Amino acid sequence: MLFNSIDFALFLPIVFVLYWFVTNRNLKLQNVLILVASYVFYGWWDYRFLSLLVFSTLVDYIVGRGLLKEENQLKRRLLLTTSIVVNLGFLGFFKYYNFFLDNFVAAFTFFGQPIEARSLNVILPVGISFYTFQTLSYSIDVYRRKLEPTKDFIAFAAYVTFFPQLVAGPIERATNLLPQFYKKREFIYSRAIDGLRQILWGLFKKVVIADNAAEYANMIFNNSGDYSGSTLAIGVFLFSIQIYGDFSGYSDIAIGTSRLFGFSLMRNFAFPYFSRDIAEFWRRWHISLSTWFRDYLYIPLGGSKGGTMMKVRNTFIIFIVSGFWHGANWTFVIWGALNALYFLPLLLANKNRTNLEIIAQGKHLPGLKEFMQMLLTFMLTMLAWVFFRAASVEHAFSILGEIFSPSILHAVELPKTVFMVYALIAVFLTMEWMGREQQYAIAKLEVRWPRFARVAIYYGLALAIFLFAGKGQDFIYFQF
Amino acid sequence: MKKLLRNSILFIIPAIAFMYLADYFFTNQLRKARYDEFGIWNDIFDGKIDSDVAVYGSSRAMVHMDTEILRDSLGANAYNMGVNGHNFWITYLRHLEYLKYNRQPRMIIQSIDVFTLTKRPDLFNPDQFLPYMRGNDLMKDFISSYKGFGKYDYYLPLIRYTGQYKTILDIFKNMVKPGSVRGERIRGYSPQDQAWNDDMDVAFQKFDNFRVDFDTASVVLFDRFLQECKDKNIEVVLVYTPEFIEGQDFVKNRTEILNKFKEFAEKYNLRYFDYSDDPISHNREYFYNASHLNREGATEFTKKLSSDIIRTGGLN
Repeated sequence: MLFNSIDFALFLPIVFVLYWFVTNRNLKLQNVLILVASYVFYGWWDYRFLSLLVFSTLVDYIVGRGLLKEENQLKRRLLLTTSIVVNLGFLGFFKYYNFFLDNFVAAFTFFGQPIEARSLNVILPVGISFYTFQTLSYSIDVYRRKLEPTKDFIAFAAYVTFFPQLVAGPIERATNLLPQFYKKREFIYSRAIDGLRQILWGLFKKVVIADNAAEYANMIFNNSGDYSGSTLAIGVFLFSIQIYGDFSGYSDIAIGTSRLFGFSLMRNFAFPYFSRDIAEFWRRWHISLSTWFRDYLYIPLGGSKGGTMMKVRNTFIIFIVSGFWHGANWTFVIWGALNALYFLPLLLANKNRTNLEIIAQGKHLPGLKEFMQMLLTFMLTMLAWVFFRAASVEHAFSILGEIFSPSILHAVELPKTVFMVYALIAVFLTMEWMGREQQYAIAKLEVRWPRFARVAIYYGLALAIFLFAGKGQDFIYFQF
Repeated sequence: MKKLLRNSILFIIPAIAFMYLADYFFTNQLRKARYDEFGIWNDIFDGKIDSDVAVYGSSRAMVHMDTEILRDSLGANAYNMGVNGHNFWITYLRHLEYLKYNRQPRMIIQSIDVFTLTKRPDLFNPDQFLPYMRGNDLMKDFISSYKGFGKYDYYLPLIRYTGQYKTILDIFKNMVKPGSVRGERIRGYSPQDQAWNDDMDVAFQKFDNFRVDFDTASVVLFDRFLQECKDKNIEVVLVYTPEFIEGQDFVKNRTEILNKFKEFAEKYNLRYFDYSDDPISHNREYFYNASHLNREGATEFTKKLSSDIIRTGGLN
């Protein structure tokens, strides 16, 4: 079920009413409702993959229970390995099987030993990369004795499948989300209103900004050979806006929906395009994934404790693995490596934690230096997005080749309707800038604005969603 | 909780009222519109076709057959129902709606081409269906097989207008200055005052020649259509209208497709005219691209078609 669908607009109030009016006296029943609702939500795409979800849940629940009883370190390690092998095994099969196969074949052919292998027509289950990481975090934390394994299977299953964040995050840690299933949730009006407001803002970002930008970005990337460097550069800019609006919009809706049910999810985006360096960007972009890799990969590898070479190695590993997590294509690996290259100078100069505070805090505008830093960071990010969006490495290089050619000076060849998209993006970025000190751009509307103005803004956003909804695009991150 | 419910209801009630009112307003305005496909659909739904000759087909029908020349030559009212960007699937929908609200024609001139019996996955120009589709099961049956509208668009108010800001803008433009939105057709005919453009050269540069495969369902539908017309005593004339000779090589299996139409003509004993090799098809001056005649070409062609119809028995 898509957040930006009528199905979800009907599903959400039904679950909400059942949750707060029918099952509200019994915590267990509320968790059962969440579990059932989550299965319905997920099964709406393809009910066949529900079995995978159930199996993954069972494995990690049993591993968790086993880890509680087991004191023998070797056996504990074996249990954890089971969880990792099963979870990453599924992920590897569904997401990477054909990639590895194709590359093996290519490698053997390159060395003069052509082999024949049959690739499979594998359908990638929606959200597998997200819920795999979520369940893995549970097993690892239990293994590390950071978390008490749960006896309550329903609560655990509800944690794994919690519908607001099941298919595209935020990737929640068991330490944050699971305990919320043990406690009776309280309905707090201000929190519910805040949730609704965040849902509205998320929908605006997805439906109005991302989907409209996508129309032109897709047109340009899918026919890149027809366009000059200047138009391709616009295409890259529009994709940068699309992916941010799409993914952060999804996260806003997920967080807002959770708040309606009395849950608190971690923040996933913190205005990343207002970053002054790439390290700051990565502290603000897809925070739940970045911190996951930090905690479960970077730190176990030694983090930044070792020598320079160790730091460099670990940085490259997490960025490349993060890239590979996004998709089975060398383009994602290069995207990750490129970000590692951007990050490296900051790390080596020990300046990767320079910009920790919000840009131009308490001011209307940034200083010239801050503005230039922000612009440079955005340009570098855009450059990396070319690899993220391109169909292949050759495609990415052909686009970059055209952008860095004299044709960058040609007139942009796009229909006039693109100006409407520019105008919407300008309004969006202005609102984001004005709200950058908050959790999301319009979070403090309640405090700052009189009631009639607030309501007018809500209706305005709803009207914008109605009028300017782009042609229904799926959420980009569903493919990951 | 009560406060949330109260405020939600207070927020939603005006929104729902707005949905109904706006739907009524937009639909009403579009039901009066004369531009683009709305003019044709409105004439159909308002029972204003009143013709003995109906022209069916895609944009090629729409720009190739001048209804005034047909009327003057054949001595009977003609209406051109060519629908831009669509194949037989939507032609047949139009045919059914036409017969539902209007007297039946004596003759249907069915323009055929290599794409007539294909079906595209996306719903081209979807806004043309907006004012008629809500609660219209027939229309739903035909357009829901395309990627375009969702299942709720056929029932809930306003939802289908989501994202149609250009259509909504045209409504207001047309209200402020009637006739300011261009595209009104002359009893369905849309003359094109255009000179030859580079569409064909661009296509030759970008694409290799290709094969066109029939859509099985469309073939079955076409057969059903011909049988129904025969049963209703409506004569169908199949016409392959002129196509610029240099562009004809684009489709590898063109002969195979033409043979299929000849088979249909033989099966139902229909008049069949193929202008692929007519002098008009050899003259670039008559075209603005390889598939479409300009006004001059359309005039020349319609005269020729009318005389061929008269020569072979006229309007029965």
